[in-house]
Amino acid sequence: MRLRPAAAATVVLAVALWFVPEFADGFPIFYLLFAYNVFFWIAQASSWNLFTGSSGYFSFGQGAYYGVGVYTVGVLVAKRGWPLLPTFVVAGILGALLGLFIGLIVFRLRKLRGEIFALMTLAVAFVMGAVARVSSTIDGGQGIPLSGVELPQALGDFPAMIFRLGLIVATLAVLAAQVLHHSRLGWGLFAIRDDEAVAENLGVPTFRFKMMALGISAFLASLSGAVHSLQISYVTIEDVFNIRVPLLVILMSILGGTRHWMGPVVGALVVYTLNDRLNAAGLQDVSDLIVGGLLIFMIVAVKEGLYLRARQRPLRAAIGFAVGIGPPIVLGLTDSAITVMAYGLLGAVLLLMLPVTAPVEEAVPVHG
Amino acid sequence: MADLYFDDVTKRFGGVQALAGVSGQVEQGEIVGLVGPNGSGKSTLINLLSGYLEAEGGKITFGGEDITDRPAHRIIEMGIARTYQIPRPFGTMTALENVSLPLMFGTARHDPGRARSEAQQWLEFTGLERHADTPVAGLNLHQLKYLELARALATRPRLLFLDEVLSGLNPTEITQSIEMVRRIHADGITIVIVEHLVRVVTELATRIVVLDRGRVIAEGEPTTVMRDPEVVVAYLGTRGRHA
Repeated sequence: MRLRPAAAATVVLAVALWFVPEFADGFPIFYLLFAYNVFFWIAQASSWNLFTGSSGYFSFGQGAYYGVGVYTVGVLVAKRGWPLLPTFVVAGILGALLGLFIGLIVFRLRKLRGEIFALMTLAVAFVMGAVARVSSTIDGGQGIPLSGVELPQALGDFPAMIFRLGLIVATLAVLAAQVLHHSRLGWGLFAIRDDEAVAENLGVPTFRFKMMALGISAFLASLSGAVHSLQISYVTIEDVFNIRVPLLVILMSILGGTRHWMGPVVGALVVYTLNDRLNAAGLQDVSDLIVGGLLIFMIVAVKEGLYLRARQRPLRAAIGFAVGIGPPIVLGLTDSAITVMAYGLLGAVLLLMLPVTAPVEEAVPVHG
Repeated sequence: MADLYFDDVTKRFGGVQALAGVSGQVEQGEIVGLVGPNGSGKSTLINLLSGYLEAEGGKITFGGEDITDRPAHRIIEMGIARTYQIPRPFGTMTALENVSLPLMFGTARHDPGRARSEAQQWLEFTGLERHADTPVAGLNLHQLKYLELARALATRPRLLFLDEVLSGLNPTEITQSIEMVRRIHADGITIVIVEHLVRVVTELATRIVVLDRGRVIAEGEPTTVMRDPEVVVAYLGTRGRHA
């Protein structure tokens, strides 16, 4: 298999980012933590999109896979003293098994498709939460303190370590999405999304392909959840098995665009940045309002998502970003680079949302 | 030796018996015309024989192998392909991508790059090469029907089911399409064609099978079968008006 330019660029970027903490002395550590969270959401959104974006089966199950990851560390590391790094792999496998279990039930019952899949995945997250609450081996309703987890020293101090772990998982998820995009598996899934019966009749092993994609997606989501557990000091069922994670990954993927692997990456960056800045300014409610509004607008007006729209209109994106960062710089709000970036992203997003005259879909080689 | 045998196949949709035990065979090199009034079960029969739907009863064999319960994605490997009455292209793909898809599966199993280059030849065969990079939304009905053909042919079938390839086309397009079917047949592909235009079927087919209300009511040489009184009644009603 030859290395594609996008994959090569991803690896080079990841390696470069790996060394950022080395040079981060005197650099506020919240930049590293902010970057980690962007990585986390990139991994989550990419993992969701890897299955749903390709196959068209809408999943609300992201919270369940994420939760399995968090709780695997909670139970095996915090309670039983397992070593952390091998537990990450175990978490990924447990998540994949859960995904495969759901797939086995839903995809084997032939008449249950589409909507039923969405409902099933939603139900599973609640069932997982209920199981964790009842079972004292897992949680028992008490929650689990994670602050005592022994951290690996090889990756640097906490901010550097979590930055690097997040980077690894995000890179894995993005590479997986890229490979899928150009593989027989990916094409088979695109065909399933367009017309599953015709795909099957043309030779696509639809059941096996859906299971494979769901397994990979759930593995990555759970692995990412396991890493994220290190950022949580006290894990509770309510914080983990809720609707927030699935809703955010759906939002990010649709905002960025589900038809290209860069879509969830762009969506995660934009949504997390805006969310973070608005929360920092104490505008939690406004944040939900803005993000929700953006989603509605995207679904109606920019179906292909921000990434493909930006590729179509790079000048607009650049101008929007430049105009966006103008006011905070002029007004002297430059205490945080993240704030400036948030304004830039918002400017770019708003300008990209203006109607375009040419039919965008025809000119963009989505699968190219 | 007959290529495709089907024996007493049945299918029911809810309370409707779409096929009430249909038997027959298709031999290598034939062009079988499958005719009958609306709702007689023609499309259902094609759906069962091509593996698109599962038969409830009966047995289907192809080249001596029992394919009754074989999953649809493995039927194509046997050399059976079909087109759809209403074209069903993959809507987010271009014409070329549509044709390259089956080349990644079945017996070919090419990687996406090789599949694309091989798909090109099938677009050329059907005269769609200028539209290779056109998203399917930009194709007209005639082109979509040819795309169906190209996609089916790319699987290199031995037996091809054509479900109303001519419906909705204008006279010039019909003439072109008949020519296309003849070329496909000349390449050694056995054809089963469902068609409403009786004139076309009698002209093309080497044998005709007439279905009515889920049963075979007549079969044989085209001109003889179409004069069969029972067929005339099924088609035109008891008054026997001329079509």
